[in-house]
Amino acid sequence: MTNDHRIVIVPCSGIGKTYGSVSREAAYVATEDLRPAETQLVALSLLVLGDEQARAEVADNVSITIDGCQLACASKMVKESGGTIAKNYAVLEVYRRHRQFKPQGIGELNAGGQQLAQALAEEIAQEIDALTLAEQTGGQHG
Amino acid sequence: MTGYLEVTIDKFTFRVAPDRWYTREGVWVQPSPLTPFPEGEGNQRVKVGLSDFLQQRSGDVAFAEIKPVGTRLVVGDEIASIETIKVTVALASPISGQLIEVNPALETVPEAINQDPYSTGWLAVIEPTAWDTDRSRLLDAAAYLDMMRHAAAEELP
Repeated sequence: MTNDHRIVIVPCSGIGKTYGSVSREAAYVATEDLRPAETQLVALSLLVLGDEQARAEVADNVSITIDGCQLACASKMVKESGGTIAKNYAVLEVYRRHRQFKPQGIGELNAGGQQLAQALAEEIAQEIDALTLAEQTGGQHG
Repeated sequence: MTGYLEVTIDKFTFRVAPDRWYTREGVWVQPSPLTPFPEGEGNQRVKVGLSDFLQQRSGDVAFAEIKPVGTRLVVGDEIASIETIKVTVALASPISGQLIEVNPALETVPEAINQDPYSTGWLAVIEPTAWDTDRSRLLDAAAYLDMMRHAAAEELP
């Protein structure tokens, strides 16, 4: 995966909602700590506002979306922006797999929320690795 | 299930199934079609679940923990705990009786409560011990719709 061809991460923008906060925190961990060279964060709000650069990033690269609720705004906006979703994560489903990490808080996530975000980010990192390998070998990932 | 009663407030539409009774908290109670009421106290079964209003107000369900089969319940006893993305709701049993069946699907698909609260999202089946008395405390669908409309109007802009 080259710098001009990176995987776009689009998290939920649910400001004021716990699961939205988990999705954003996971996106920060994935893009800033775990796989900074392979990824690029695009704010959902920019897609909603029709920002040309953000829409181009989504249209020109594959995306991983993280949705905080069933409205699935991140996934919908990526599709509406002409993007391709390589993988979608729903925070609720991730929590069902990691019930020991109960997220609480909004402005500041509790320890459970931070741990859930970390767990989600690690799942995303694995997916990024698989996508990167698939691109390097010219194979399909599914 | 057809012919729901409905009320729309702001962008939300809430449905009420007409063929059952309700607690004020939003737990529905439906006699089994195989053992219609009222025909005495024996061999009766009632199914219970969450109303559409209650599930929408509570949010997406993460986990549903229902008391085990065999549990004897008195009206008001906790029958289930529903953890959603917003809150954890302790549901009070709408009737007295013995819990004889739990919806097994909710262990793996708890979102059925959100997606289909009046059918596949049912919680449990109870064999009542004081149905006539308990039923007299429940609301019919029209009364619940009216109560719910007022509650929703107060909560929503």
